[in-house]
Amino acid sequence: MTGILFILFAGLAIGCATSMVVQRNPLYSAISLIGVFISLACLYVMLAAPFIAAVQVIVYAGAIMVLVVFVIMLLNVEEEERRPLRLRFLIPVAVILAAIFFAETAFIIYFVQASPVTLSRNVSDVGLTSSIGGGLFTTYLLPFEITSILLLMAIVGAMTLARSGGLLSSRAAVVPGDQVFSKELLDRREPGDLSAVTTHTTKEAAQLLGVDKGTK
Amino acid sequence: MEDLKQIGLISLGIFVAFFVVMTMVAYTVLAERRVLGFIQGRLGPNRVGPGGFLQPLADLIKFIFKEDIVPDKSTRFVYFLAPLIATVAAIMTIVVYPFGPEVQIPFINKSVQLVIARFDVGLLYVLGVTSVGVYGIALAGWSSNNKYSLMGGLRSSAQMISYELALGLALIGVILQSGTLDLYSIVEQQAGHLGITGWNLIWAQPLGFFIYLTAAIAETNRVPFDLPEAETELVAGFHTEYSAMKFALFFLAEYVNMFTVSMLATTLFLGGWAGPFVHQVPWLGVFYFFGKVILFLFFYIWLRGTLPRFRFDQLMSFGWKYLVPFAIFNIVLTATLQWSGALDYVAAFLKTSTGWWG
Repeated sequence: MTGILFILFAGLAIGCATSMVVQRNPLYSAISLIGVFISLACLYVMLAAPFIAAVQVIVYAGAIMVLVVFVIMLLNVEEEERRPLRLRFLIPVAVILAAIFFAETAFIIYFVQASPVTLSRNVSDVGLTSSIGGGLFTTYLLPFEITSILLLMAIVGAMTLARSGGLLSSRAAVVPGDQVFSKELLDRREPGDLSAVTTHTTKEAAQLLGVDKGTK
Repeated sequence: MEDLKQIGLISLGIFVAFFVVMTMVAYTVLAERRVLGFIQGRLGPNRVGPGGFLQPLADLIKFIFKEDIVPDKSTRFVYFLAPLIATVAAIMTIVVYPFGPEVQIPFINKSVQLVIARFDVGLLYVLGVTSVGVYGIALAGWSSNNKYSLMGGLRSSAQMISYELALGLALIGVILQSGTLDLYSIVEQQAGHLGITGWNLIWAQPLGFFIYLTAAIAETNRVPFDLPEAETELVAGFHTEYSAMKFALFFLAEYVNMFTVSMLATTLFLGGWAGPFVHQVPWLGVFYFFGKVILFLFFYIWLRGTLPRFRFDQLMSFGWKYLVPFAIFNIVLTATLQWSGALDYVAAFLKTSTGWWG
């Protein structure tokens, strides 16, 4: 029973992975990748790790891939054209690496089956919610916190890159007539640069400050 | 042999649950049309069968026999896949909900818990499957090759990602409270006096309940958050190009989603099958459960009849600037109360001083 399910989901995972690489349409690749994630989650369930399976689906299939699909849809990415293959020397290298990989797998299967040691217990508590939570908040607390700080840095970095327009808030109003701004005020990527930028019309000033929403 | 027996029992359970839920969903559609009719001062469909009772059947036959039109420049495979994803993801969550307590099945004389699959991470399973359901709508919008559809699909994916966050955070309060992700245990903990006083809604998670309800309505794309299919702007949003049975599948997915969201709210906040005299007559639990679910469904219909639609920027700012911070506040509050033991103290006080609290 378990064997049949394993073959089913493993086959599905490999098939989806192959399809992900082969497809030329980015959206089809994304859908295949979702298939890979979901079949992997099923394999985790069979390995008695339900929590990891659930998180796999929620985080990878449900959040990250939604964003990928979202971006593909938003940019309206067209199907990639088939280009003549460059770097032809990679093909024999790939064949050799695949051969080594299969040899390794065969070696491991043969020796694991031949070894006299049998597994002491079939059920582990590695994938259970309580053991993961306990581990995260006791033994591995520091790495866990550092990871969260890393994520925070990524968010702050993205915000800084996206809002490099100016230091003014979006509610700032523009005074009519000639105005002089410092360059520092207009572009926060150049702090300390006080050279003057003069504008003559309200519209120009608004454009420089990035507050001219709806005035075009 | 024992394996086969187990599989047979589970299949039977899935069949019964599927049948019951589908029937109730069909009649939710009828109820929605009739209640909306009454709210708007008209009758609603009442001609097919007594009081319109056979209307869902007539609708089904109509959907099956309608012509199935596929747009010429659509992406065929994805266009067919999208309604399937939406429906399957909606229906798959049914298996983890506890419909009732442990009951004696007549005829075979066996005592079973009325839940098809009880496992360690039931709540996370629900969240995971629901989050996959977004693809149905997003891909439908993309593959139809239509601007309105695409806008609907984009809006819905943005909306569902945003509100999923608030939804998940609102549920953390309940998880902190009960210390488990297993839905059956969460219901059992809410028994209380007469099966009412222990509900999470009443004295532990009122804020969490409100946040969950709001986020869940947004998650199911219902009024007042039905931006993905705003008729006035987008024709019909993501399912503009869908017709006949494929449209019916989207329609079905929406109502099944409503139903499962109501079941989750009942399970987590309203004590599931808990109610007066369930201990004496276990089968009562099933009726309590579905009664509470029907209450939620009525609430949905009521909202649809009375509230106007949000604007998209209002929707986004409400989700991110109000719901998420409130949800985080709720988590901190629950954790603090739980850590200080205040809730246990109140419970003990009420029990000893009034002798009333269960």
